[in-house]
Amino acid sequence: MIPRPHVDWFALAPELMLLGAMGFALIGAVLLPRENRRDFGAFAAALGFAGAFVYAIVIYIHTPDVHSVIADSVRRDRFGALAQVIIAGAGLLTVGVSYAQRMRDEHIAEYYALLAAAGAGMCFLVTANNLMTLFLGLEWFSISLYILCAIDRELEGSLEAGLKYLIIGSFGSAVLLFGSALVYGATGELAFNRISAAIGAQHLTGDALLVAGLAMIIVGLGFKASAAPFHMWTPDVYEGAPTPVTGFMAAATKTAALVLTLRVLRTAFPQEAHLWTVAIAAIACASLAVGNLAALVQRSVKRMLAYSSIAQAGFMLIPIAANNAIGGRALLYYLIPYSVMSVGAFAVVAARERELAAPVTLDNLAGMGWERPLLGVAMCTFMFGFAGLPPTGGFVGKFYAFSAAYRHGWTWLVIVGVVATAVSLYYYLAVVRAMYMRPAAELQLTPTPIAAGGSPPRDALLQTSVLLALGGTIASFVAVEPLIHVAKQAAAALPF
Amino acid sequence: MRGPDVAWYLAVAAFLFATGALGVLLRRSPLIVLLSLEIMLNGANLALIAFSRLHGESSGQIFALAVMAVAASEVVVGLGLIVAIAQKRLDLDVDKLSFLRG
Repeated sequence: MIPRPHVDWFALAPELMLLGAMGFALIGAVLLPRENRRDFGAFAAALGFAGAFVYAIVIYIHTPDVHSVIADSVRRDRFGALAQVIIAGAGLLTVGVSYAQRMRDEHIAEYYALLAAAGAGMCFLVTANNLMTLFLGLEWFSISLYILCAIDRELEGSLEAGLKYLIIGSFGSAVLLFGSALVYGATGELAFNRISAAIGAQHLTGDALLVAGLAMIIVGLGFKASAAPFHMWTPDVYEGAPTPVTGFMAAATKTAALVLTLRVLRTAFPQEAHLWTVAIAAIACASLAVGNLAALVQRSVKRMLAYSSIAQAGFMLIPIAANNAIGGRALLYYLIPYSVMSVGAFAVVAARERELAAPVTLDNLAGMGWERPLLGVAMCTFMFGFAGLPPTGGFVGKFYAFSAAYRHGWTWLVIVGVVATAVSLYYYLAVVRAMYMRPAAELQLTPTPIAAGGSPPRDALLQTSVLLALGGTIASFVAVEPLIHVAKQAAAALPF
Repeated sequence: MRGPDVAWYLAVAAFLFATGALGVLLRRSPLIVLLSLEIMLNGANLALIAFSRLHGESSGQIFALAVMAVAASEVVVGLGLIVAIAQKRLDLDVDKLSFLRG
């Protein structure tokens, strides 16, 4: 009889919920008549994400200390559970945003199945405790996302986005895999905690294989988190993919990649901290510079938000580089407002896109604040949040991220971050200005041909999602103390 | 351990990986790019298996098997996208895929 490791099925509940939802949606895609597939798929995915959300909260409550789930390959702890809550929440909002997206209904149930599968992969990734589960989780959600980007086959840009993402994403994964192989070669271990133990026992701190492997792992994760200089796919893919998918990628992919980066660096390579803190800080500065400067000159709102997401990745790498308990807390806290704001901002873009049937630019955003008061106010709040202005959680998040860097003794990093924030105000407030404050003379209104049927009716589900995202953005500012407490307990699962 | 030293295996693995990486960066046909991605993954696989033999434990080999399955599914998606692009009669040349400004 082959000895089998003990499997803690409860710890895998969020992934299993989402996989179940995926199965249901796929069965619906085959068995149901075409007109029911959209409702059924959306319902299945929403149920899956809601279930994962609830299960992740239950896991958070019932896991005060760290457990190994399957022979050290997966960890059950509050750190992973909180990340799963964020991912499942972003997924749930995305289902609401996607529902009224005009897509060919031929593959609509598969769309929701893939969304659930991507969510499951991310939930799996954030609990990974082994180089193999890391790679598998990464590819699990990446392959789902490649297809999601290209799912709207009528759009030329969509196919192109899918192929570009596939090529560059797989390149990043291959680099990460080679790095994992080198680390395995240097230490003889795959599990994160045993890698760190082997480094300590065999005095491998400066080992060439190990350092090369670590560098390649950081590069691979940089591709997934779209941090500069590994960001070149981001603007094209974010622009070409269907807008709800873009929102999901911006929120959930970044959450999964950043949370895992902190976990792997902290659990597997604590002895190498003098190397990777500098590397992560350099990547953070590059992301802040590239993201902010390129965002300044964009006219397309989706591209602008893509560059802004690169800059935000830079902000969230600052607490990782700080390598202290405040940093872990700051990252987890910042991800909460960041992901709801991302899904919300892209939802508003999607709504405008559906009204105009054209790509949204700063020019055709004009007057939206007056036409659609709810979406206008929400978009303003999201922009204030990204810029780090007070009535939103973005303010507290940035404050905490900077204080983590300050505590680490890196005042220069704080200064870089503050300068980047000041620069980012320009393009975030440009959106607010475009929506509310364009003088009539500047608009040069030309009568545009209006497609037959006029503008589409208000989309209740999208508006609900935007409202929830707005609520999340403000609530993360108002309820900052309980949320920081939650993030603190989650970060305590890592060996700081 | 019989046979060449593990350094040779690592050298071949690194050569394969570098060949694949250059192919991804330089070649234009998406088919060749996919092929190059596979070469990169297989370079990593070779390194995993060599190290697995060196350390005398099997987890590296299991990892390599899992990578093969992943690589296959990645290629399926890639080829599917290429077929879809070909059906739309777009040019099969990654340099000309510039509908989105790069």
